[in-house]
Amino acid sequence: MALYIGKRMLAVVPVLLFVTFTVFLAVHYSPGNPVDMILGNAATPEAVANLSREMGLDKPLLVQYVNWLADLGQGNFGNSYIHKTPVYDVLMDKFKNTVILAAGGLVLTCLFGILIGVAAGLKPSSWLDRIIMFTTTVGSNLPTFWLGIVLAALFSVKLGWLPSSGMYDLRGDKTFASLLEHMLLPSIAIAVSSLAVVARLIRASVIEVMNADFIQTLRSHGLPFRRIVGKHLLRNILAPVVNITGLEVGYLLGGVLFVETVFSWPGLGTLLYNGIMGHDIPFIQAGVVLIAVIYVFVNLLADIIVSLLNPRLRG
Amino acid sequence: MKFLAKKQYQRNMWKASLVLVLAFALLLTGCAGGQGGNGKTVDNAPSNATNATTPEGEAKGPVKDGTLIVGLTTDVSALDPTREAGWESYLVNRNIHESLVKEDLSKTSAESPQVAIVPSLAESWDISEDGRTYTFHLRQGVKFQDGSDFNAEAVEFNVRRAWDKDFEFFDELSAALMSRTYHALKNVTSPDEHTVVFEFNTPYPAFLRLLAQGSGGSGLLASAEAIRKYGNDGYAEHPAGTGPYQLEERVMGEKIVLKRFDGYWGDKAYSEKIIFRPIVDENARIAALKTGEVDIIQGPPIDSIDKLKEEGYQVPEADLPIVYYLTLNTGNEFFKDVRVRQAVTLAIDRESMSKDLLKGYALPAYSAVNAGSEIFDPNHKPLQYNLEKAKQLLAEAGYPDGFEITLQTYNGNDAYVEWIQRDLAKIGIKVKIESYDYATFGSLRFMSPKVGINTMDWGFVTAYWLYIVGYSESTGRYGNYANPEFDAAVDKALNEVDQQKSFEYWKQARDIIDEDAAIVPLFSGKTLVALGKNVKGFVLPSQNWYDLDKVWVE
Repeated sequence: MALYIGKRMLAVVPVLLFVTFTVFLAVHYSPGNPVDMILGNAATPEAVANLSREMGLDKPLLVQYVNWLADLGQGNFGNSYIHKTPVYDVLMDKFKNTVILAAGGLVLTCLFGILIGVAAGLKPSSWLDRIIMFTTTVGSNLPTFWLGIVLAALFSVKLGWLPSSGMYDLRGDKTFASLLEHMLLPSIAIAVSSLAVVARLIRASVIEVMNADFIQTLRSHGLPFRRIVGKHLLRNILAPVVNITGLEVGYLLGGVLFVETVFSWPGLGTLLYNGIMGHDIPFIQAGVVLIAVIYVFVNLLADIIVSLLNPRLRG
Repeated sequence: MKFLAKKQYQRNMWKASLVLVLAFALLLTGCAGGQGGNGKTVDNAPSNATNATTPEGEAKGPVKDGTLIVGLTTDVSALDPTREAGWESYLVNRNIHESLVKEDLSKTSAESPQVAIVPSLAESWDISEDGRTYTFHLRQGVKFQDGSDFNAEAVEFNVRRAWDKDFEFFDELSAALMSRTYHALKNVTSPDEHTVVFEFNTPYPAFLRLLAQGSGGSGLLASAEAIRKYGNDGYAEHPAGTGPYQLEERVMGEKIVLKRFDGYWGDKAYSEKIIFRPIVDENARIAALKTGEVDIIQGPPIDSIDKLKEEGYQVPEADLPIVYYLTLNTGNEFFKDVRVRQAVTLAIDRESMSKDLLKGYALPAYSAVNAGSEIFDPNHKPLQYNLEKAKQLLAEAGYPDGFEITLQTYNGNDAYVEWIQRDLAKIGIKVKIESYDYATFGSLRFMSPKVGINTMDWGFVTAYWLYIVGYSESTGRYGNYANPEFDAAVDKALNEVDQQKSFEYWKQARDIIDEDAAIVPLFSGKTLVALGKNVKGFVLPSQNWYDLDKVWVE
């Protein structure tokens, strides 16, 4: 087991190297020169040359990459060109908020994805199954951004049930209840399409498992339906659930970045958007690497959990 | 999970499908509602419910000690008087800091078309006959929020920080922004603890007005103690002014919380707290106003104003000293030719832009001189809409088929920028739009040769505004414009003590810059904010910022 996890973790290293190198290249070859960006219209040729040397931008590409990677490894993300402060400070503070929102979306995705998927899978081709299949097809294609706007317009502005922006009620205290209230709508907005995808895949697994020989055998032995579902079915669909969920995290994070703008959620999305628009290179690099790292590690975690659930995979 | 019975499954299944059905229903209503998902139900806006206790017409005094929340269009720059940039930064900063003289913002545009200059931290001042020396007599017994005394030394410290290269706390960034105010400053001295004397190389009638304003560096005064303690870079996080409010907390991109300063020398402010929140998305900002999460929003989009008014929100109007304009980059290969610049100006239909796009909440602009300026002339309209002439000029310049050009702007300007894109397409100029947040745009505002156009909305009451946008040494020019004739006219205006004569020179300068078409005036705004139904005591003056210390929420 330890060996498997060790191997799996080692496999992450080349993935991360690939990710960081891609990010580095993409930013390096994107239009806009960091030196001009910093100096503005005070950019004389000497000033440009000096600053380039100071920032190491005159060195060969690969050397620049290795230097940057070494800095990253030491937790030095560089200074933001726009905010003039260390990237790390600004980024981490906002990233925390993004994770909170993504977690909300993930909870909804898992909870309702499983419930709906199982409900549909147990009675394939029933009218209920058909309705679910239809709605999930629609749901999985709803643009997150648009859904956020509609939810806010309906539940905040028209009905006044829930707040439309921010993380906490600024007139009150920073309570957990206030946080939940503020994150409900954006969580729904980011969860809906992942939820629909998860539900459909779970439905497929349920159908497969319910038709498997061992379930038929259990049935023929006279085991009660609830026991079959509760013990044997759930245990057998758990692995795909964990796997899909791991993959959906990436999608959820992407959705969060969009939804944040709609709900003025003080997270990474808005900040990163600004960074990209402003050619704030240290910022873009750090932000994208951070998201990629999270994605890779969530999937690593999912793999490990799956292997714990399914001994056959460990070999 | 393990023990869920079949029935329970079914129940959960029902709940779950309900959610999805709801989502689907939303899809349908969303489609049916077209653009206005937040459409037609006017009668049950939620703020009515919370506001049931205050029947109208009952004469009650202002509610004190409440919390006022203002939704900004963008996060503000530094809370530092000489490093700040942008109106919204000044709007926040002027609650914390004060200047020697201030504008009287207690009157509406109708009552006072031009805001008056009144004493603030200076109780009185004398101007020498040659207009070159200003002597300020300071208010006594005033304390900064960090406990230090306000005196002549503090004033001198602030000026030297942004002007005197040999000063220990000289700050390049402050100097760049304040050069508009101090470029002709010869010396600043303090003969005694309560007197400060400014000497200028030229007569300088615009000085008081510039001290009383902000948006790209301001005349607001910071505690010298605080700058010594936290340094030029650290001050913005620990600001200490003499104003009615002090900083309690700032979370970047999230909120700025101000609390009332108990040691304030003047009248006590009404609200206990003012919170500023950046809400970049227009729809989100309006939603926050409607749900009562904020009390005041900056920059309500023009196409929302009629509906807001219908629903009972307040949208005050004023003649704002502001002009929305394009800067054409004379350092760009296409725009170095004056004919191309004039063609662009001629091709933009500003009458119908104001009437149709901006629904009459704007005044079409034809001159770099903004409405509300002391030399504004509503009949001065060079280069009016003329498509034929535009095409002809463009052909003469060698671009009969037009060209492609990049326009940079910042969030919230989409509507009129797309209008320009459409208008310029008519003469074959393809405009590529890049939209940034305000802070990022600020760092890009000095255009590189590749960028042809950017947008700005700015303006001053004083004619000195022309110096800022056009003079070859000014840092308010974003597109490399430089014309010796213009500079000469401005020099004459600056050196003329007689105000009427000075205005004549300013008008000469105006004619030159308007003909050069390096600045394409678009329109002047009339609206700035929308207020919740229960916001009282708010006055929108003829200015791009306003007082908040006498505003309350009922």
